[in-house]
Amino acid sequence: MIKRDLYLILLTIILHACDVFEYHPYDTKLGNEYENINKREIEKIKNKSSSGTFKFAFMGDTQRFYDETEKFIDHINGRSDIDFIIHGGDVSDFGLKKEFIWLEDRMKRLKIPYVTLCGNHDVLGSGIEIYSTMYGPLNFSFVYNRVKFICLNTNALEFDYSTPVPDFDFMLEEIKPTDDYDRTIFVMHVPPGDIEFNNNVKMTFAYQIKQSQNLLFCLHAHTHTFAINDYFDDGTLYYGCDSMQKRSYLLFTVTPEGYDYELVHF
Amino acid sequence: MLKFVLGIIIFVLCFPNSSHAQSDSINEVTLKYEHRIEKYKKRWSNIIPDYTKIQFAGGMGLLSAGIGWDYGNKHWETDLLLGFLPKFSGDEAHATITLKENYIPWKVTLSHEADFSQWMLEPFTVSLYFNKIFGDTFWQKPPKKYPKGYYYAATNLRINLAFGQRINLHFKNPRFSNTMCVFYEVCTNDLYIMCAVQNKTLKLHDIFSLSLGIKFQIL
Repeated sequence: MIKRDLYLILLTIILHACDVFEYHPYDTKLGNEYENINKREIEKIKNKSSSGTFKFAFMGDTQRFYDETEKFIDHINGRSDIDFIIHGGDVSDFGLKKEFIWLEDRMKRLKIPYVTLCGNHDVLGSGIEIYSTMYGPLNFSFVYNRVKFICLNTNALEFDYSTPVPDFDFMLEEIKPTDDYDRTIFVMHVPPGDIEFNNNVKMTFAYQIKQSQNLLFCLHAHTHTFAINDYFDDGTLYYGCDSMQKRSYLLFTVTPEGYDYELVHF
Repeated sequence: MLKFVLGIIIFVLCFPNSSHAQSDSINEVTLKYEHRIEKYKKRWSNIIPDYTKIQFAGGMGLLSAGIGWDYGNKHWETDLLLGFLPKFSGDEAHATITLKENYIPWKVTLSHEADFSQWMLEPFTVSLYFNKIFGDTFWQKPPKKYPKGYYYAATNLRINLAFGQRINLHFKNPRFSNTMCVFYEVCTNDLYIMCAVQNKTLKLHDIFSLSLGIKFQIL
């Protein structure tokens, strides 16, 4: 009996020790806690209750900026007025599994839900396989407080034509009016016009976005610099956030009448 | 017929030792040839691997196996390993190849048992190795579609650094290998070091991982 217990203890130790072995920097072996995070977090967002006005933070490009990310998380955990966070992509710099885990181990300390987009760096190596397992589909959407957030993969340069980027079928499906939302916000990693974007279709993209229900604005990361652009001179504003290195994020307050933004340094 | 017989007699008379001389020169040529072959074999024998090695984890695959050579009084080793990486949650499995240089500064004999075996400790090893992973999504130079300098680190080649310890058991009556060596290493790579240098919140245990191995010394 004691012998069997000893074997059990030994087995537990060995299983735990498995984490200390790394097969390869690009291996895709992930524990259950690192699977389908976006789905889990969107569930949390849906379960949140809010009155007409809400706030969310938008940041991105946390690649290799773990010190700054920790400060960001401490800052966010110190305030209670933000409902959720959107990470605009580039979790990793080289598509290494450990980069994703290093970031996720920090993000899970957040007291509020967060969703994460896929950046162009997250596609490198076996990064795309890790992103898909960890966070889920590259195109996704969720509704909070009757506002629909449509999150798109716009990293066209990383894919060939077998993967549509941006995925117009997905967009067409998502912009259909439904009972649960009245307004739309588009979120992407790469803005139109960037070399990473499929600029052959950028006008079509602009047109398609315009067809959505009461478009508020668009969000992007990738450029590492805070900027507001009206890329197509059609009144649609694209807000770009600083990289995490610059220790800032964008804070949006969405009211029943409209919205407001603030660049917050921490 | 007479002419032919006369010819032979004259030939034998004129060159009495010729047949002997001929066999001598043949012998000489044979000797030279054998000597050359000997040298040729000896030269090639230098690259007969001195040991085989199997390693678990270590940034080279789930399991790697290969051959190696030692030199410099067995203080230096070069390994050539092939690794296998299963697909896990990804789309495909991968093969890897590793060229690994090990330096073993000290060797400590632990026990002398003249007629049985001998234990020997190598208290510190340091290794530098290049690992290349094969697969469509891995490249050394960014594909031409990217602008210059868009991505700077090769995705298929990692430069790894490892420190370890080993214990050797030398058999007095070997059957397959004369010495069996078990070892562990802690390893990291160029990109992890780069990340750790830039971030105080990344600790040593974040960038180092463990690997285990076994070596069979044959020559």
